[in-house]
Amino acid sequence: MSALTADVVVIGAGVLGGAAAFHLARGGHRVIVLDRGAPGREGSGTTAGNLHVQAVHTRRPGQEVPLDSARFLPLQRAASDRWNSVEAELETSVELRRSGGFTIAETPEQRAELIAKHAWEDRAGIRTEVLDGDGARAALPLLGPTVTAATWCPLDGYANPLLTTPAYLAAAVRHGARLHPFCPVRAVERSGSGWRVTAGDLTVEAPHVVDVAGPWLGEIAALAGIGLRMTPVAIQMHVTVRLPETLRHLVQHIGEGLSVKQVTAGNLLIGGGWPALRLEPDGRSPVSLSSVLGNVAQAARVLPFVRDLRLLRTWAGPLAATPDEMPVIGEVPGAPGFLVAGGTYAFTFAPLWGETLRCLVEGKPTPVDIRDLGPDRLLEPAAPAAPYEEAR
Amino acid sequence: MTTTACDVLIVGGGPAGLSAAARLAAAGLAVTLVDEQPELGGQYYRSPSPAVLREHGDHRPEGGRLVARVRSLGVDCRTGHLVWGVDDDGRTLLGTGPDGSPVRLRGRHVIVATGAYERTHPFPGWQLPSVTTPGFAQHLAAADGTSPGRRVLVAGSGPFLLPVACSLLAAGADVVGVAEAGHPYRPSLRAATALRHPARLRELAGYAARLARARVPLWQGRVVSRASGADRVSSATLAATADPGRPLRTVDVDALCVGYGFRPQTDLARLLGCEIRADAVTGDAEPVTDAFGRTSRPGVYVAGEAAGVGGVHRALVRGATAAAHILLREGSPAAPGPREIARLAARGRALTRFTALSDALYPSQAELRKALAATLDDDTIVCRCEAVTAAAVRSAAAERAGGDLNAAKSWSRAGMGPCQGRFCGFAVAGLVRDAAGDAADGAARCGVPVFPARQPIRPVPVETLLALGEQDGGDG
Repeated sequence: MSALTADVVVIGAGVLGGAAAFHLARGGHRVIVLDRGAPGREGSGTTAGNLHVQAVHTRRPGQEVPLDSARFLPLQRAASDRWNSVEAELETSVELRRSGGFTIAETPEQRAELIAKHAWEDRAGIRTEVLDGDGARAALPLLGPTVTAATWCPLDGYANPLLTTPAYLAAAVRHGARLHPFCPVRAVERSGSGWRVTAGDLTVEAPHVVDVAGPWLGEIAALAGIGLRMTPVAIQMHVTVRLPETLRHLVQHIGEGLSVKQVTAGNLLIGGGWPALRLEPDGRSPVSLSSVLGNVAQAARVLPFVRDLRLLRTWAGPLAATPDEMPVIGEVPGAPGFLVAGGTYAFTFAPLWGETLRCLVEGKPTPVDIRDLGPDRLLEPAAPAAPYEEAR
Repeated sequence: MTTTACDVLIVGGGPAGLSAAARLAAAGLAVTLVDEQPELGGQYYRSPSPAVLREHGDHRPEGGRLVARVRSLGVDCRTGHLVWGVDDDGRTLLGTGPDGSPVRLRGRHVIVATGAYERTHPFPGWQLPSVTTPGFAQHLAAADGTSPGRRVLVAGSGPFLLPVACSLLAAGADVVGVAEAGHPYRPSLRAATALRHPARLRELAGYAARLARARVPLWQGRVVSRASGADRVSSATLAATADPGRPLRTVDVDALCVGYGFRPQTDLARLLGCEIRADAVTGDAEPVTDAFGRTSRPGVYVAGEAAGVGGVHRALVRGATAAAHILLREGSPAAPGPREIARLAARGRALTRFTALSDALYPSQAELRKALAATLDDDTIVCRCEAVTAAAVRSAAAERAGGDLNAAKSWSRAGMGPCQGRFCGFAVAGLVRDAAGDAADGAARCGVPVFPARQPIRPVPVETLLALGEQDGGDG
């Protein structure tokens, strides 16, 4: 068994792990990235890749706690700005597109929410425009007759998650980070003033551990004796066969989980956080037929042309959710050097959180105020550490 | 909710599904038989078009008799029905009727008899128009009496190539040659053991004689290493199987039929959650079944070619065996006694031995895979739906996926198109295995050489889903 030393052990080679490793390695830190399987295979490999800039009040069907949009919007604005330099930093295209997006409303209540949301966005410096139903259909003739109002946000966009995570990881490796896929973490212990992480055949000693394990974030924390109230779920995505360029914008729904866009390859991607049948810990969660039917019916109602397409494929992906639906990022109180990051809109936030994690490791001021996003709010009374295999 | 419920639901109206249906319906069970095609019979018993029937007659009349028997026994035959998904964690199958309307199907027992796919291997130029599989050519010739081209080369491996070449001759094509990757058609010790099965040999000899009369050359130990052409195939390059990198001969053609036999069609069995393993001999993904066709899923049987390729006789016996087991479990008075069970089992074993013997005449799949992988230069398109090259799969596997097949799919997009990896999946798995060869336990990680089954198995109209949702909503 070989023992290594590093400055930071990043656990999870998803988009957050890649972004954290890139910013840390570029900052001169010795970084080791561990993943239980193939890099970017789970949440980051199954996400729809939306860049959410305008607010979406409710995200998933059945989501009990709405996102605190008023608090969240300034963060979203900062995350959006941070994406502007990603392709230059990574020296590659990730199919980043700012083609703008519509959030639509159908009922009077949803219309009222849309107008309230517009005021928050204004305060956060996010330019959006409110349109009535006919105005929305004039701007996007594909919208159906049930749409009574919409907000238009030119900043909404998309990046290809299947390019973004590998690009971050490759750039991190170019800056000296070492990537160990198929290397599941078995133990995380205090060692002197730092941490000892045992994974596969490796033992790594480092003053800092960054837990960005997505749906397994809580399990990794538990190995270190930290109890975090996470509520991981599996959600599903639906993709149609390819079609000529038809829908240039992201279309979302203010009141019901729905997001529709056409990806670069030509397929229409329909999501919105509908739940899979169940979350399987190995990541291959089965899809729920009622979610397929529900999500496709919404899409066909809001965008009637969807009715004439054929559904090609469905899949489910895991999501690291928190009970209050807000992101979690920061150092765990009582566990110096143990940092966590994840939760809401991790894909949109990856560039910002990657940089923020570097600042936290260096003890420097963070680009945005994250004091109320720390893991302290999710702490449970000390839980006994469960061996990794049992925790699975 | 409109759900068709029955005692036994059989998916696939080929020899295995038909023989199971006949046995079960004769014992008085309520059987629903679903098939994608407009007529029962499957690929083997496919009925010719009326015009072909008038001219050539039906060369497999036993198929028509079996279909007639199944219908007369009152089996609920749903032709033109595509099964594309499952619900209730696999207890209900979802399908689409001929008019696009959704159907839910539920049986207390389910027999998956979905048959086989042709075994294709990518090679440079295989995406050109008029490059087809032998099965497609056979279908054109047998059902419609036409050929995919005027000058046709038939290539690949296996006994199926000879009857296909004969059908093309009958359809009026100029068959410029048959290229077989192995050396099965010469006296050898292995061929001599097949003499114990004279009927089969006589059949093959008949085809060979027909080809010889038409002066069709039969090249052995040859593979197609490249197809060339501008807007459609105009020539095919042949190389020695032992040295596929060195071209030996170029043949002018306007159609090329290449196939290396068949592999089980397992999408539905996998979607139902049946355990799958890689067959030790062929390397194919096969459902794990016992002597009765039982899978790891209670109540789900896989019969016929879907359980392992072995020809029509084996498929018929496998269908009957699965049916016999269901009758035993039902406590049916028509359930077979111990002697019939023993007879079926013995017949199954004999046919399995014959399959092994017959397979031994032709090159092994591992040999073929290795030879054909050598023709895959970096520019070869592996996934035709998404135009993904061998280089893209290799680099995804080596640099990002670490030997994980599913991750290689994500990173390369291979297998993400309309065919969902049916044509390229095995080739992609081979490339991933080879690319990960250096990485520690990379080959082991690739696992069963098949992408996970995702629903819908085939693209399904959104209209069908909307109608299904309305049915569900209407009945709560």
